[in-house]
Amino acid sequence: MNNSFIIAGREYADNARTKGFWINLLMFPIILVASIKVPQLLEEKAIPTRDYILIDQSGELGDVVQLAVDRQYAAKVAEALSSYYMANAKGGVGKEIDLEKMPSGGLDGMMSDFLEQDPGALDSLMQPGAIDSAVAMMQLGLNDDAPEFVAPRRPFSKVDVPTSIISAAELGTMDSGEIVSRLRPYLLGDKYLTTDENKLFAVIIIPQGAAAQVKRGGAAGLIQQLDEKDGVQFWAKNLADMSLSRAISSALNEHLRTNEYQRLGVDEEIVSQVKSTQMLFTSFDPSKDEGEEKVSMADTIRQFAPLGFVYMMWIAIFTVVNMLLNNTIEEKSNRIIEVLLSSATPWEIMSGKLIGIAGVGMTMMVGWVASMIGVLMYMAGPQVEWASTLLEVISNSGLLPLFGLYYMCGYLIYSGLFLAIGSLCSTIKESQNFMGTATVILMVPLMTMVFVARDPNGTLAQVLTWIPLYTPFVMMNRAAADPPAFDMWGSAILMLVTIVTMLWVSSRIFRIGILRTGQPPKLVELFKSLTRSLKNQ
Amino acid sequence: MTALKLKNLVKRYGDFTAVSDLSLEVPTGSIYGFLGPNGAGKTTTIRMILDIVKPSTGDITILGADSAMDVRNRIGYLPEEKGLYKKMKAWAIIAYFARLKGMPSSEAKTRAFELLERYGLGDFANAKVETLSKGMGQKVQVLASIAHRPDFVILDEPFSGLDPSNQQVMEQVISDLNKEGATIIFSTHVMSHAERICDRILLIASAKKVFDGTVQEAKDLLPPRVRVTGDFSAAQLIELPSVNDCNVDEDGMLNIDISNGCTPQQLMSECFDAQLTLESFEYRQPDLHDVFLHLVGEEAKVATLR
Repeated sequence: MNNSFIIAGREYADNARTKGFWINLLMFPIILVASIKVPQLLEEKAIPTRDYILIDQSGELGDVVQLAVDRQYAAKVAEALSSYYMANAKGGVGKEIDLEKMPSGGLDGMMSDFLEQDPGALDSLMQPGAIDSAVAMMQLGLNDDAPEFVAPRRPFSKVDVPTSIISAAELGTMDSGEIVSRLRPYLLGDKYLTTDENKLFAVIIIPQGAAAQVKRGGAAGLIQQLDEKDGVQFWAKNLADMSLSRAISSALNEHLRTNEYQRLGVDEEIVSQVKSTQMLFTSFDPSKDEGEEKVSMADTIRQFAPLGFVYMMWIAIFTVVNMLLNNTIEEKSNRIIEVLLSSATPWEIMSGKLIGIAGVGMTMMVGWVASMIGVLMYMAGPQVEWASTLLEVISNSGLLPLFGLYYMCGYLIYSGLFLAIGSLCSTIKESQNFMGTATVILMVPLMTMVFVARDPNGTLAQVLTWIPLYTPFVMMNRAAADPPAFDMWGSAILMLVTIVTMLWVSSRIFRIGILRTGQPPKLVELFKSLTRSLKNQ
Repeated sequence: MTALKLKNLVKRYGDFTAVSDLSLEVPTGSIYGFLGPNGAGKTTTIRMILDIVKPSTGDITILGADSAMDVRNRIGYLPEEKGLYKKMKAWAIIAYFARLKGMPSSEAKTRAFELLERYGLGDFANAKVETLSKGMGQKVQVLASIAHRPDFVILDEPFSGLDPSNQQVMEQVISDLNKEGATIIFSTHVMSHAERICDRILLIASAKKVFDGTVQEAKDLLPPRVRVTGDFSAAQLIELPSVNDCNVDEDGMLNIDISNGCTPQQLMSECFDAQLTLESFEYRQPDLHDVFLHLVGEEAKVATLR
């Protein structure tokens, strides 16, 4: 057994010293940090303030549109203010968000719920100096070393039509088609309105009489003949950013409906009261303790966190078993194996390789998990809400030990398989033939991953659970959904039996294959020599 | 004392017989050469001795054990096809194989550096194997196979791929090992090495033992050779009483097979008596090369063509 450990030590050192191993190890935290930091940076820096032109010929709806844009900005400021407060409050309020209490929609969800009920709630923030006084009010509760509050930039900014393009006199009466044809080069980015080369994002045209272009519901709507060019027009080349068009159209509808209530003689006050009423609707989880059944943010993440683990496991396992395959083929092709065989038994060689590569995999895994927790701990906070949630879930849910366990099992199953393949092939090229088939088999847990997570105790999940090659991945995926004990223990036993069988068969194939030269044997041939070696025992 | 004893060893792969009824005794402390054409069964025999492959029938006793596995720490082995872990340093690879043979880690390291220094690779001790030349790599591998001070060393084609000066180093390694008391078996195609180094040789052809004995015994299988040139023909020579047979070789020289009981001196005086003018007269003992060709010549050609 001593030889096994000497061999294991060499395998470990040999693989842990490769560039690929370190790249693998470092890529993960780098990607993690990037996936948190890059969207933040983009939000702050990369998306420029977008210019739009508002041409109001109706003299009525222009203010409504402008109000909609301002309110959108106010919401953004409010959100920034609350994050700022949470991050800098005395006693670190922000660091101790109770995820079990937070509704499953998160902070964004709370804000949009709030605004839906009362669109005018934040109008006071739009007053000049309102932001400063809000910050001043907070000041008492903030840490002394809190940085100064920086208000977010306006996402959209209104610009006037230069008189060189359309004179002020023409603007009120010009046909919308003519306006667009004159502004088209600016919308397409061929020309710029300003010297700083900021593209014109959108042109909003409200023709005269647009307020009368109302689509009606019910039977009256069916016989209506409306021309789109008579209504409010939103011209923009960028179809992906819909926030402006959405904000405007919903504000216009809001305005229209208020007018309709007035026309029909309904009290506006009553309408707004009615609109802010809400039924009490809560999601509950029957599996949780009494009093804590409410589905929280943490629950949602806990449900989907295993996906990340499955993915990590998949990558780790196939990285290391490929090392195993390549090493075995290297030893075979340059005949080192003969020297090894004169120094150690095939079983010692095989177990040495298994242990050594398992160590490499473990190092990689521990590195990944540690760096993940490290990054999350560093990042966690109100700015990166999901990071703190994930951290909480990882540390409290018991997924981590399960992950370690299933990872080991998966490794043993696949390492046996790959070791056997490696011992039968003399060159990497030959092994590619086997790898084609192997890859197809291997892809299954990855392709079904999302479906299993969505329905963790469904038919697909249950069928895959009982295929030992997939058990580690699927059971990891189901781990958060309290799978039935029968599935859990039954599949575990089946998996262990498979591992033992797999390693036993592999060690046979290893013994036979390792001294073979030339073409890999046919399946029949392999089976024959397997049974022959059994008889010889 | 016998270090290795093979008794009626047979190895069959399906219908193909790789080694047929081979018996052999290798005395302790001797240098034994395994000679034979390609495909004769040398490597298979060596693998059976090492218990890497099991013989179909027959017995092996090595260093008093039934299986080389039981005494593997006392055996050193250099396989025919050479290869090393490319990414490892020269000293590390030597130390690694020494450790696998039971040498403690620190001693193995010291020993690796010492060996590299002694055989002219001291400057490359910390170089990765992939940066070494083929010959240097092969030397490293030889050193790796003997680092644990084995009592019994098996070298399969140790000279192939080495330049003349490194071949000399290899010969040095073998004689050093032998001086330290190790029994050595090596296989080769190059007869001059076998002739210089071996105490005894085993000649195998087509899976069978053809000859087994000392180098001198092998040479005695062939009569001494006389080659002459002069202004006469082969027919004139054959008439002399001491000439059994005579023919012309590729160099245009006359090869003479001396009759039994006659000496080269007799032949020479007969030439004078017959007034044949000799321009050159060469008398020499046959070398192993001649013996090899004599014993396995035809089979060697067949084996090469196969």
